[in-house]
Amino acid sequence: MKSVFCLLDTAPYGSEKAFGALNAAAVSLTEMSVTFGLYGDGVYLAAADQDSTELGVPNLSDILYSYGELRVIVHEPSLIERGLFGETLIETIELVDEEDFLEEMENSDFVILF
Amino acid sequence: MKTLTIVLTDGPYISEYAEIASKLAEEALKQYQVNIFLYLDAVHIPKKSQNPSFFNNVGELFTELAEKGAIIRACARCAAARGYLAEEDNTLKGSNCEDYLTGIKISSLYELSEMLKKSDRVISLSR
Repeated sequence: MKSVFCLLDTAPYGSEKAFGALNAAAVSLTEMSVTFGLYGDGVYLAAADQDSTELGVPNLSDILYSYGELRVIVHEPSLIERGLFGETLIETIELVDEEDFLEEMENSDFVILF
Repeated sequence: MKTLTIVLTDGPYISEYAEIASKLAEEALKQYQVNIFLYLDAVHIPKKSQNPSFFNNVGELFTELAEKGAIIRACARCAAARGYLAEEDNTLKGSNCEDYLTGIKISSLYELSEMLKKSDRVISLSR
């Protein structure tokens, strides 16, 4: 089975990229091993209790949480840099350091950047 | 023959990526089956009647790639959001969208998954 690493370094809601990355990961889950990596501003997607009601767009962290079979890794230094380390995050994520994040990318067959 | 898939997420001209992708694909076609998936704003790339004053016409570059054998598909959800609708009218020459250039079709996002699954190499260009 091939493995795909979806790399998101853009915050949710400010653009379509987080939504697009989630959709691309979802359609790939049935036939490939998918890892969803949050780096830089992408780590904002891991924050729990998001409320996007007034934006008129889906709650993207709820979507991420709902894909239980999707492996989600979050770059811990990016969380710390943004003051999110002590915040409540969705439960399905794994925090990894720089080295482990890079290793996950290297071990995947393909990396799709969003 | 090995397969290369190129994934694009940006529209033409706002970045150089579409043109870079066309150059990579042109060269890769000599030894690879080339697939290109147009995602998010990249669905603007095959729009007809582009007339850039100072850049290469990226739409024409992509339709030439399709003529040379590249399989180029655009995400249906992204295309519909931007006003490009897939039609079943087979009289549209080489496309299923009247606003698109020849050889480029709108298809499901599941086609991206199919392309990835069959690929030996994947290149993703995104700002």
